[in-house]
Amino acid sequence: MDVNVPDARLMPDTLAPPAAFSGRGRRFAWTFLLLAVAFGAVPAAIVGTGSSYLAQIAITTMIFVILSASLNHVTGTAGLLSIGHAAFYGIGAYAAALLSTKLGLPFVVTLPAAGLIAALFGFLVALPTMRLVSIYFAVATLGIGEMIYVVLLNWVDVTRGPMGIRGIPPIELFGWQADTLLSRYLAVAVIAVACVWVLHRLTHSYYGNALRALREDDQCADSMGINVERLKIESFVVATFFAGIAGALLAHTSAYIAPDNFRFMESILILAMVVVGGLGSLPGAVVGALFMIVLPEALRDIGDYRMIAVGATMFLSILLLPKGMLAEGTALGFVRRSFSRGWATIAGGTPVGWK
Amino acid sequence: MSNTLLSIQGLTRRFGGLLAVSDVSATIAKGELVGLIGPNGAGKTTLFNLITGFTPPSDGTVTFDGQDVTGRKPWQIARMGMGRTFQNLRVFPNMTVFDNVSVGAVGAFGQSPWRALVNGGAHSRAVSERSWEALERVGLTAQAGDIAANLSYGKRKYLEIARALATAPRLLILDEPAAGLNDTETAELADFIRRLHAGGVTVLLVEHDMGLVMGSCSRVIVLASGRKIADGTPEAVQRDPAVLEAYLGVEDDAA
Repeated sequence: MDVNVPDARLMPDTLAPPAAFSGRGRRFAWTFLLLAVAFGAVPAAIVGTGSSYLAQIAITTMIFVILSASLNHVTGTAGLLSIGHAAFYGIGAYAAALLSTKLGLPFVVTLPAAGLIAALFGFLVALPTMRLVSIYFAVATLGIGEMIYVVLLNWVDVTRGPMGIRGIPPIELFGWQADTLLSRYLAVAVIAVACVWVLHRLTHSYYGNALRALREDDQCADSMGINVERLKIESFVVATFFAGIAGALLAHTSAYIAPDNFRFMESILILAMVVVGGLGSLPGAVVGALFMIVLPEALRDIGDYRMIAVGATMFLSILLLPKGMLAEGTALGFVRRSFSRGWATIAGGTPVGWK
Repeated sequence: MSNTLLSIQGLTRRFGGLLAVSDVSATIAKGELVGLIGPNGAGKTTLFNLITGFTPPSDGTVTFDGQDVTGRKPWQIARMGMGRTFQNLRVFPNMTVFDNVSVGAVGAFGQSPWRALVNGGAHSRAVSERSWEALERVGLTAQAGDIAANLSYGKRKYLEIARALATAPRLLILDEPAAGLNDTETAELADFIRRLHAGGVTVLLVEHDMGLVMGSCSRVIVLASGRKIADGTPEAVQRDPAVLEAYLGVEDDAA
């Protein structure tokens, strides 16, 4: 072992931060490609076909991208297995629906309010449950999720129970109404991209490293000076905030919500997106959401067999790619390189650290 | 201000009826390299946990750098400058070597979600540079991008030490670093610890390996059945009849 070499400075030339880092061009290439798909190809397809079905799938995909990316933040990155994510999605949706139908508040208010109210509930849930570990925490989130669902279903005076809430106004920004298919999609896409960007900055940083350390070994992170409890609560609050945002988008784009949109099965669907995409991988969470929304639709032609096909695909993907379609390690390297988030490149071209 | 870095007074810990650590007092001065030894079950690990804040003491106080830290949380104590390694290798297995070490630096510099979103450049650079320096000190820069779980056992030990060094500790506590190493590796480790100490780090070495402790430390504290039975130079401790009876004597019988 080379530790015997006094003051071993290994190949100082290999460390070249950040001048020799030539990722700038490629970073723009990837950013451009992603934005071109979200704001070029998909809108062109919606306009070209004039298909409301296509627009609806595109909107649903974007909403689930937010849900999947936010669940990945707390479950994949910070390692807190939450199986009640849909409940916070529901809180956001009902908050936006009630604030706009009962109080007549505009979208610019209901959107952040939905996020903040869901985050407040997230905080209240996190406070007593953060000391629970692994499966116990999961069971607690399952219980909370069911509880919220039952309240939405039975508190008829406020939520109208199983009848749901109708007539939720569409997205509207300072007089501009998103009342066409295209504008509705674009509004949702802009917000979804912004949400993913925030999660990207949080995860792909040293703050993200601290979150991953919690997942790997929280006692050990504790003795490195990491305030474990605060970080766990923060990650849960952030995830529930974005779930609330997704809920508001659902409410304002579908005009109608009911408790059934936020059942346990939805939580499991979101979790499946995260796992199939790759636990702890933000690009994976996005790909997972795309896959799980688009595949069942693409298979509509085979009728009732499609859910079997979807299940089999999930089963096979987890069997063949247990770390997901875009495993965390690969994804982090990819983001460091192609989005120029790495601090330096060492021998062999491996990027390390965060900017 | 005195030269004392760590001072424990009357530290006691009961687990039900078991007295794991009983009325232990000791001090460590800045710049010392002190060994803590004792036979299995002597209470070394419990004492370690009492000092680092993992276990609250039943009685007694821990003073670090002039401040009473009894009852503080491990992360608070760590942030004050007490770095540690673990007996049973606890690297973050799915993170890269560099990211492992960065957690120590993040712990020391503090973490905040806002900094990750806006204006965190200077903070990130400080964490990056501190992490790289720590890797240089243990000679693991070539493996910086590797997943920690893929390192050899010996290298993971050095990775743990680098992670602790990245917290910029004023006191570095190593928990049985020689466990699982062969003689050559232990000798290398001893050399490394001596150089670390020569570089200005105060070290408390909790060890089983007598050779490592006797050969490296200027002072040795001996624990047996939860009590401190000796505290002095390696030579003095080795001649101490109480130590011979409790520790070395047993080994003589076995041999």
